[in-house]
Amino acid sequence: MDQARYTALFLAESREHLGACNRLLLEWERDPSAREPVDGLFRAIHTVKGMAGTMGYGRLADLAHRAEHLLDSLRSGRVVATAGTVDLLLRAVDQLERGVEIAAADGDAQFDAGDLGEILTAAAESPAAVAPLVRKKGRRAPPAPDVEPPVREIGRVVQVEVRPGAIMRGARAYLALRRAEAFGAVTGVVPPPAAFEGDAFDGRFSFRLESEASDAEIVEAIRAAGEIDAVTIGADVMTTAEWQVPSAATGGVAARVEAAARSGQVRVDRRRLDALMNQVGELVVARNRLLELAQAEPGGELEALGTRISRLVSDLQSEIIQARMTPVWQVFDRFPRAVRDLARQLGKQVRFEMEGEGIELDRAILDEIGDPLLHVLRNAVDHGIESPEERVAAGKPAEGRVTLSATRERSSVAIRISDDGRGIDRTAILAKAKREGAAAADLETVSDDMLLKIIARPGFTTAEQLSSVSGRGVGIDVVLTRVRAHGGTAEIATEPGQGTTFTLRLPITLAILRALLARVGGERYLLPLSYVAETVEYDTQPVTAVQGREALVLRDQVIPTVHLRELLGVAPSELPLRRPGLVIEVGDRRSAVVVDALLGQQEVVVEPFEAPRGTPPLFSGATILADGTPALILDAAALV
Amino acid sequence: MSHTVLVCDDAIFMRTMISDILTQAGFEVVGEAETGMQAVEKYNQLKPDLVTMDIVMPDMGGIDAVREICRDHPDAKILMCSAMGQQALVVEAIQAGAKDFVVKPFQPSRVLEAVQRVLG
Repeated sequence: MDQARYTALFLAESREHLGACNRLLLEWERDPSAREPVDGLFRAIHTVKGMAGTMGYGRLADLAHRAEHLLDSLRSGRVVATAGTVDLLLRAVDQLERGVEIAAADGDAQFDAGDLGEILTAAAESPAAVAPLVRKKGRRAPPAPDVEPPVREIGRVVQVEVRPGAIMRGARAYLALRRAEAFGAVTGVVPPPAAFEGDAFDGRFSFRLESEASDAEIVEAIRAAGEIDAVTIGADVMTTAEWQVPSAATGGVAARVEAAARSGQVRVDRRRLDALMNQVGELVVARNRLLELAQAEPGGELEALGTRISRLVSDLQSEIIQARMTPVWQVFDRFPRAVRDLARQLGKQVRFEMEGEGIELDRAILDEIGDPLLHVLRNAVDHGIESPEERVAAGKPAEGRVTLSATRERSSVAIRISDDGRGIDRTAILAKAKREGAAAADLETVSDDMLLKIIARPGFTTAEQLSSVSGRGVGIDVVLTRVRAHGGTAEIATEPGQGTTFTLRLPITLAILRALLARVGGERYLLPLSYVAETVEYDTQPVTAVQGREALVLRDQVIPTVHLRELLGVAPSELPLRRPGLVIEVGDRRSAVVVDALLGQQEVVVEPFEAPRGTPPLFSGATILADGTPALILDAAALV
Repeated sequence: MSHTVLVCDDAIFMRTMISDILTQAGFEVVGEAETGMQAVEKYNQLKPDLVTMDIVMPDMGGIDAVREICRDHPDAKILMCSAMGQQALVVEAIQAGAKDFVVKPFQPSRVLEAVQRVLG
């Protein structure tokens, strides 16, 4: 069997189930009377246990088993949840998450959850504080009749011995009994079937069978129940009062669930989707070349074919993009837990809300932004939200709010993290920036944009920002680098005493980009179309100056101009008479990018791009154009 | 002709493993279900020779699914897939009409023995 494949499945599914556990535990904590979270938890842990056991991860399976045992006790009312129960289960989920990773990487021999297992078991077996609820209908084996049935002396006595090492001897005995029942009436089962499930049951039982069948037939049929060591017929060993075999469950109408989950979904490795996307990317490039060739012969057969292929490729491409779309909750799911834990650790009261979890993003982007988002959330809780005392003193509710929302905006998704905390201290940031030479000494105020640029400098922290929680590890610079690497943008808005909002805008998909192709000097560059608001003729627009910078006046609006020639260091030369300006829009910032010429629109496949040293920080990626030559993709955010 | 099987389990991992074991032994896995409801629907639709049924599944558990299936098809050949420590549930499943059971962690030989017993 292909072990690696199972390991990958095991890991992916276990992570998913344990992620769900975190969510369910928080749900349960909010509403302790709800039953669904506990049922869901039980199922999830149970599934993890089964998978771990099958993979041979005994230690992991044991811990899962103990957690499941506790959940079962809670579910059935044998044990009543206390204040510490959710914490204990959260700990168990943490350890299981850790164990799953360890086990998948290297087997679970190294996995040690300390005394957590014993604690779980102790909790599962502690007596209930109130009378236990009635166990779920149908969960019990039939009760032993309380009246001794009359002794009947008919039929043959059958003795059965289940193999001592067999798993679930009781159930096996039950199966044997069922097989015997197929021959005729079974009476006088000793010990009574209700006792089969007990620990004391040693696998031996006997009963009377009223049947016309031959001994051999009966023995063979009972042996076919599996794991049966011996079946003997005839010897009378009925020593205790005989019992009637319980009637089989009558099969009452099962509780019906309203709607069946008709998901019909399959799980696909992301790498496979990536490969598929790359292939389609190549196809797009080939198609572009085909269209160029076809243009040489307008109206010809090649053009007709080119158009047809073009449509097919577009359809294929959008199907694959669709297949890559994943709802953001798959990443958001772990945040409530993280925020809760952090708030507790810091002694803060935080109400965390999420919106737009159903919004979809390309899986590759989603996988990348999880950590950056978590970082921003941690910042919000750690630096944004004040202590309850401080909040009350400022006339705010003691409980702070942190909101994470996803909304669809044109061809991008905006993810906002807002808090109603103290806001970023501009004065402190500015002072620090001046000391580090990152801001002009005479600067008196900082705009939001400027603020982001300052705090996004690698390694930038203010003294008070350093805390055990978010002061270490990734900084805002890493967050922004990741977001920009995927063609996204970031914005910050902060108001003293009111709070801070971080907005990350991400393209819905990153593999294929619609871009405008422009020429500057002898080179061609691409600008993502999603940021281009309009194109204007630069030389025909009135030019003005704002704060010493050249700007265009377009319909009474002043838009700063950016001359790509200057930025790219292209030597001045004869310029065409009329040059196009591309008005680009990133969030609410705009600029007019002046180029030498516009060459048209193209769909391009974004290739990973490592800027060589000395390259101006203007590019977000590279690509191969239809004619096979490489070109750089401009980073819109760097141009506004 | 090879026997047809419907594999019911809410974990893809388990479905894959059971399917692999059975396919390698020459069975034809004709369908998979991840909830009890789906199991009942697919049984009615596919009429497989054999069903492997997980006990704990969302949207109607395996035992209720066995009950539903056996109500209309008393001869349905259903093999329960159980975890350790679920003896009471296995017994209940047998009462509901399941023909045999295997206990996770699965050993291919055990699964195939149980399948043979059920089909036998």
